Amino acid sequence: MNKRTRRQFFIETGCFAGALALQPLMAKAQDTSAPLDMVVCKWKGEPIVEEPTREIAEKLTKKAIESLGGMGRFIKKGDVVWIKPNMAWDRTPEQAANTNPDLLRTVIELCFNAGAKTVKIGDNTVNDATKSYVTSGIANVAKETGAELIYIDRSRFKETDIGGERVKKIPLYPEIIESDIVIDIPVAKHHASTTVTLAMKNYMGVIENRRMFHQDLPTCIKDITAYMKPKISILDAIRVLTANGPTGGDLKDVKRLNIVAVSTDIVALDAFGSEILGYEPQKIGTVMKGFEAGLGQIDYKNKLKFQEIIV
Amino acid sequence: MKFKKPRSWTQWIRRLSQLIFFVLFLVLAWQLHFLEPGNNAEPYKIFFHLDPLIFLLTLLSTLSFITLSLLCLITVVVTLILGRVFCGWFCPFGAYHTFFSWLAQRGKKRKEYQSRTSAHRVKYFILFAMLGMSLFGGHWFGIFDPFSFFYRALSTGVFPAIHIGVEEASTAIYREDPKILGLRITKITEPIYQKLRTDIFRMTQKTFYTEGTIIFFTLILVTGLNFVRPRFWCRYICPLGSLLGIISQKPLLRLFNDENTCINCRQCSKACPAGAQPDQRGNWLPTECFVCWNCVASCKSDSISFQFQRLGKPKIKTGQLDYPRRTILTAMATGTVGMLGFRVVPQAKQGQPFPDMLIRPPGARMEREFLQRCIQCGACMRVCPTNAIQPTGIEAGWEALWTPKLVPKIGYCLYSCNMCGQVCPTQAIQPLTLAEKQKTKIGLATFDKGRCIPYSYGRECAVCEEHCPLSPKAIYLVEREVITRDGNVVKIKQPEVDPNLCIGCGICEWSCVFQDRAAIRVTCANESRNSKNQPILTFDTSYPSEVDSGSQNSPY
Repeated sequence: MNKRTRRQFFIETGCFAGALALQPLMAKAQDTSAPLDMVVCKWKGEPIVEEPTREIAEKLTKKAIESLGGMGRFIKKGDVVWIKPNMAWDRTPEQAANTNPDLLRTVIELCFNAGAKTVKIGDNTVNDATKSYVTSGIANVAKETGAELIYIDRSRFKETDIGGERVKKIPLYPEIIESDIVIDIPVAKHHASTTVTLAMKNYMGVIENRRMFHQDLPTCIKDITAYMKPKISILDAIRVLTANGPTGGDLKDVKRLNIVAVSTDIVALDAFGSEILGYEPQKIGTVMKGFEAGLGQIDYKNKLKFQEIIV
Repeated sequence: MKFKKPRSWTQWIRRLSQLIFFVLFLVLAWQLHFLEPGNNAEPYKIFFHLDPLIFLLTLLSTLSFITLSLLCLITVVVTLILGRVFCGWFCPFGAYHTFFSWLAQRGKKRKEYQSRTSAHRVKYFILFAMLGMSLFGGHWFGIFDPFSFFYRALSTGVFPAIHIGVEEASTAIYREDPKILGLRITKITEPIYQKLRTDIFRMTQKTFYTEGTIIFFTLILVTGLNFVRPRFWCRYICPLGSLLGIISQKPLLRLFNDENTCINCRQCSKACPAGAQPDQRGNWLPTECFVCWNCVASCKSDSISFQFQRLGKPKIKTGQLDYPRRTILTAMATGTVGMLGFRVVPQAKQGQPFPDMLIRPPGARMEREFLQRCIQCGACMRVCPTNAIQPTGIEAGWEALWTPKLVPKIGYCLYSCNMCGQVCPTQAIQPLTLAEKQKTKIGLATFDKGRCIPYSYGRECAVCEEHCPLSPKAIYLVEREVITRDGNVVKIKQPEVDPNLCIGCGICEWSCVFQDRAAIRVTCANESRNSKNQPILTFDTSYPSEVDSGSQNSPY
C-alpha cells in the first residue's frame, strides 16, 4: 500500500463522514470537495429479481454521475457524444448480454441536460445491428430520448495508425473518433477467453478485423483502450452474466446485483467489475495489461478518490 | 362513315389495376425482409396462395395442400367467368411485361403478331411436362411459375443489386470527397444515403447470393424477349398462363366482333399483345386472350366489344385450344422421362446426405418431400436476416436447382429467428415455433485441427466459442499444454464441439478468423430431418449449470 498524501487522507475522511451522514447533507459535502475519480452506487436491501430495472437504473446512474461531478464535468455545450454500449447480440435486456436500456436512457438524458448537441449510440455488432439494436431495447430508448441510433457502415471504416504494442494499424470508425467524447458503457459479463468482459473489452466495438485479436486479447485491448483515451466509463452491473458469456441466453446465469459504477479510470472500473463477478483483478489479463501500461490503477480503493454510495 | 378516336378508359382502369398489383407485389417482397419473429407472415404469401398452378402441382406431388392455398379457387372461378383476366389485369409479372412491351413498341409502327403459331404451344408443353413430373412425385415448376420466377429474381437479384449500386456509389463519393465550386458533394449525397440506409434498406450489410447472377440474368433475358414479341413470356412460356388458358376455354365473357360494322382494318389485331386473333370473327382465342381491352380501344368502328354469353342467346363463337391430346401425352411423357433423368444422380438417393455442405434451413422436410414442395421462390432467402440462406446450384442435383441452403461462410442461422419457416408459402420449410427451432439441428460443426489456431499455432483464439449462441455453449474450452517452437510449455485453451448440443447454426464457421476456409466447418451431419444422417449416438449427459464461473466467490 502506498503512502497517502495528506490531501487524500482529508478527502477520504470527508467522504467517510459524508457517507455516514444523511443524504441531503452528503450531497452538499460533495459539492465542496474536489471531484471524485470513481463512484459505485448500490441499491439498498435485497435485490428483487422480478422488479423492472427502470427506477433502480435511473436512481443509481443519476446518483453515480452526480457524485462524480455531473455530466457537465465531461461534456461542454454543443458537444457530440458517442455512447458505446454493449449491444452486439440479439438478446433481450433480461439475458444481460447487452447494456441495460434503462441505464442508457438516464445517461442520454444526462448528456442532453449537460448541453450535448447530439448523442449518438452505436456498436459494431456481432449479430445484425437491425436485430440486436431492437431486441436489446436500445433502439426504443434512442427513439424516446431523441438520441441518434447509428448503424455502423462496414464500408466506412478507415485504416488508422494507432501505434500500439500489438495493434499498429486498424480500421476505426471515423464517426466515433470524430465525436467529442466517447462514453463507454459495458455490462459486466463472463467471457471464456478473457474471463470477464468489461469496459476495456467493450472498445472492441469501434474497430473492424477484430477476430484475430483473440490470439492476444489483453494486449490488443490495451492498445485500443490506450488509443481511445477514455474520459469516463460507466459499468452496468444491474444484471450481470456470470457464465456462458459473452452471449449468455440462459436466465439462470444472470444475477441481479443492482450496481452502477462510474469512473474516470477505466482500469479501476474493470478491476471493480472483476471483483463483482468473483475474480481477482490481478488475474485478469486485460486489467493487468492496462495497469502495466499505465492506463489506470487496480487498487481503486486506495489509489483513487473512491466512494461507495448506497442509494 | 365517321370514325371515333380510340377510346381508352377501360384500358386505363386495367393499367391502374396492373400498377396496383405490381406495386403490391414489390412492396410485399421488399417488406418481407423486415418481418420479425412473432409477426404474421400470412399476408405476404397471398400471391402464392392465389396461384392455382402451385396448388395443383403441390397437390399432385405431395397429395396434400395448405388450407390457405384454397384461395386459388378464387382465381379459378374468376377465370371460368371472365377468361384470363388474371394475366391481363392482376398478374404483377404480366404488368412488368406489359410495361416492357410498351417500351419495346413505343414509337414503332405496330406489327401484327396475331396469328397462332406453334410457338404458342410451348407453354402448354411446359405445363404438361411439369404435370408429368409432379405425378411422379417431383417437379420443377418453381423455375417457371411466374410468381416464383419474379419473386426469386427480385429477392436474390434485383433488390441486392439496388442495394449494392446505392452503397458502392455513395461510398465511392464518400472516399473521393469531390468538390464542385467549393461545395462538397458528400454534403448532399451523405444525408440521402444515410436516410436510405436507415429507413429504406434497413440493412447494415449488403446481401449476396451464390446463384444471384444467373437468376438476375434470367430476368433480364425474359425482359429482353419483350423486344422480340410483346409479352413473350406470357405468350410462349408462362405455365400459369397456360393453365388458366385451359380453364378459360369457354368463358362467359367473350369477345364479339360485329360483322356489320367491322371494316377489316386489323387495328385490333395489331393492338393485341397475346395473339388472340380478335380480328378473325368466330375464331377469337379465349385461351390466349388477356382480356386487356386493347382491341376494343383500338377499334375505329366500335365493332369489337366484350359481351357475356347469356343463356338462350345465340352463341358467340370462339376458337379452340390448339393442343391435341396426343401432344399432351407426349409432353407428360417428356416430363416423366426428364424426372427420371434428374433422379439418376446420387443426390436423389433417398436419405443420402450428399453433398455434405447441403445444410437446409431449420424445419426443412426430408429431402424428397422438401423438393416436392419447394417452389424456389426465394422468400426464405429474402427474409433471412443474416444472408445465410442461398440458392443451391446444381451441386444438390438438377432437381434441387435454386432451392434454399445455408452457407455459413456467408451468413449463419440466427438463434433467435425462425422466419424462413414462417414465410415459406408451401411449407417446404415447416413453420416452427422459436423454441422448436432452437432445438432443431441442421448440421454439426467440426474442427479442422490442422488449421485451428489453438491447435496448430499454440495461441489462444476461441472466437467460435465466444459466438456460440447456446447456453451452455456447444463449443467449450479445454486447457491443454502445448510445446512452442522454443521448447516452452504453455497452457492453451483449445475449443471442442459437443455434438449433443451443437445445432449447426454455423456462427462458428462464419466468425472463424480464417476467412478463406474456416477452421471450424458445419456439415449437414446430425440434421434432425434425416434419420440416416445421424453419426452421433446420443448419450444422456448432464451439464454443470455454472461452468467455470467465478460468481460463487463474488462478494456481491
